[in-house]
Amino acid sequence: MLDRPLAPPPVEVIVAVTQALHREARLLDNEDLDGWLAMLGKDVSYRLELKSRRFRADRSPPFPLGPGVIFNEDLGRLKMRVDRLKSGFVWAEDPPNYIRRAVSNVEVLATRADNEVRVHSVLGMHRNRIDGTTRLLTAGRTDLWRSEGSAWLLAAREIVLDHSVLPDSNLNAFF
Amino acid sequence: MNDNIADLVDSRTGRQSRSIYASEDIYRQELERIFGRCWLFLVHTSQIPKPGDYFRTFMGEDDVIVIRQKDGSIKAFLNSCTHRGNRICRADRGNARAFTCNYHGWSFSPDGALAGVPLESEAYFGELDRTKFGLIPVTKVAEYKGLVFGCWDANSPSLDDYLGDAKFFLDVWLDAMPGGSALLGETQKMVLGTNWKLPVENVCGDGYHLGWAHAGAMAAVQSMDLTGLSVGNSGVDLDGGLSVAGMNGHMVLSALDGVSGYAFYPDPKPILEYLEANRQTVIDRLGEVRGRQVWGAQVNITIFPNLQLLPGLNWFRVYHPKGPTQIEQWTWAMAENDMPEAVKAQILENQCLTFGLAGLFDNDDGDNLTACTEQSRGWRTAQMDVYTNMALGRSGKREGFPGDIASGLVSEHNQRYFYRRWQEHMMAETWAEVPTYNINSLTDEEAEHA
Repeated sequence: MLDRPLAPPPVEVIVAVTQALHREARLLDNEDLDGWLAMLGKDVSYRLELKSRRFRADRSPPFPLGPGVIFNEDLGRLKMRVDRLKSGFVWAEDPPNYIRRAVSNVEVLATRADNEVRVHSVLGMHRNRIDGTTRLLTAGRTDLWRSEGSAWLLAAREIVLDHSVLPDSNLNAFF
Repeated sequence: MNDNIADLVDSRTGRQSRSIYASEDIYRQELERIFGRCWLFLVHTSQIPKPGDYFRTFMGEDDVIVIRQKDGSIKAFLNSCTHRGNRICRADRGNARAFTCNYHGWSFSPDGALAGVPLESEAYFGELDRTKFGLIPVTKVAEYKGLVFGCWDANSPSLDDYLGDAKFFLDVWLDAMPGGSALLGETQKMVLGTNWKLPVENVCGDGYHLGWAHAGAMAAVQSMDLTGLSVGNSGVDLDGGLSVAGMNGHMVLSALDGVSGYAFYPDPKPILEYLEANRQTVIDRLGEVRGRQVWGAQVNITIFPNLQLLPGLNWFRVYHPKGPTQIEQWTWAMAENDMPEAVKAQILENQCLTFGLAGLFDNDDGDNLTACTEQSRGWRTAQMDVYTNMALGRSGKREGFPGDIASGLVSEHNQRYFYRRWQEHMMAETWAEVPTYNINSLTDEEAEHA
C-alpha cells in the first residue's frame, strides 16, 4: 500500500523550527554550551560518519563494522565533550577562537508523528584561530526535531562533512 | 650539506636546530634520503582483501596505488600515467579491473601493464611498445604479518632486517593471537601545519606532554591509572613503563601492567574481559614478559620514519609530508581478528572518540605541533635550537627486553634516538653508509622465554 503524501507542516511550525536552528547556532557561537545542551532531547543522537571518495561504479562492499565516525554521540557523550571544553585545560580554546555559523537551505518536512519534523539544512562554519588562520567548514545536516511542551528539541542529527581531508587541526566545535 | 647536517642535531646533548623543521633544502634532502630510502608503510592486508582491491596512499610526496593481484600477492605503483604523468586514480580505495587515465584514455591492468591505448594503430601506427609503458612499480614491496611496506631503494636491507628488534614489540599486536590483526573503518585524514618530524617525536617518546596537553581529555574520560600519569602533570611513576630505543631508529613506549592500554576507554570492561580470557594464550605464544606485562598495556610503537601504532588506544597512523611545514595525518582503528565483534566495534568507537578527527585527545596536539613549526620559521628562531634533554645518560639493558631502555614513559630518551636516526640517514650518501644497530638484542631463546 502506498503511503499518502504528507501535507507540509503548518507555517508556524516551519518558523519555530527555523528559529530554533538559528538560535542553536547563536548559542554555539557564543559558547553557551549549557544553553545548547538544553535544546537537545534526552535521547538525542548526534552523528557524523567517516566516508571515502570512491568511483561511482565501485562495487567493493562496505566495511563489516561500518566506516567509523567523527561524532557518534548521545546526550551523555555530548555532555562529556562539553565538560572537557569547560575544564579550563583545553589550551587550544584559550584565548577563545572566533567562530561563526551560518545556517541555510532549511527545509522542514512533516513526518508520521505529529510532534516531529524532519529538517534538512546546510551549515557553514567560519573559524578564525591563531592570528590569520581561518578555515571555512561546510556540512549538510538532516535532523529530527521534536516538540516538547513549548520548545522544539533536537532529537537526532546526521551530519555530512564536505571535506575528505579535515582542513583544521581540531574539531573542538559542534555542527 | 653533510657538514651542515652534522651540526643540526646532537644526540648526546639532545639538541636539534630549529631549521630542521622549516628549511626547504633540508626537506628536499629528506624526500631523497629518508622517504626515498626507508621502508614506508603502504597498507594493511585487511584493507585490500580481494583481487582487484586497491588503496591509494603516498610515499613521501609520491602518490602510490597498492593493488591486490589475482594470485593474492600485492603490488604497488606510482599513481601516474606513463604517457603524460596524469594521476590515473582519484579514488581513495575500491575494487577495479583497470585504471584508465582521464587525459587520453590509456588504461592499465591491476598488474601495472599498459592494457589499452586509444587510436593505437591509427595515431601511433602500431609502433608503441606497450611493454615499456607499464605503470612504474615501487622497487620493493614486502609484508610483515599483515603490514605491507614499500621501498624505493634497491640497496635497502630486507624489511625483516629493517624492522629488526622492533618486531619483538610489533608482534604484541600482530601475532599475540592466532587470528592476526586488522585495521578498521575509513581513513581519518587531517591536514596539519606541522613539520612531519614533530608528531612522530610527540608519540615516539613524549609521555611528558600527556598529563599537561591532554589534561582536559584525561579529566573527561580516564577510567584507569596509566603509570601514575595524572591530570596537570602533578605526579608520575617511572617504574611502571619503559622508553625503548636503539633499534634501527624504531622506538617503543610501553607500560608494563597488561591493562592500561584501555585506561582512556570510558567503559573498559568488555575489553578487559577479552584480555583476561586470552591472557594464557598470549603468554604461551609470546612468553611471560610480553604476554603478561605488555599485551593489553599502553604501547606506542614507532617505525621509522612515519608509522606509529598504539596497541591499547588502538590507533594506527601514518604522516605524509606535504612540504616542510605541512602534513596529512592518516589514522585508522586497529584490532585483533580474534576479538568478538562487539569488542572490535567498541575499539573503533573509542578510537574515534579519543584520537579521531574530533578526538578528545587528538584535538589537543595539532596546535602545539603547528606552533612549534611556525616558531622555527622566523629569521631569529631559525637560528635557534630546541632540546630533548630529559634524563640524559640514564638508559641501559632491561632483563627480558631488547633495546637501550630508559625507565618510565616520561623521558626524552626515544626522541634523541629518533633524531640520531634522522641524522644518520641524512648524512649517508647510500644505504651502505647507514649504520644498523639492535642494541641489547635478545637471542631467539631469550625472546622465547622472556
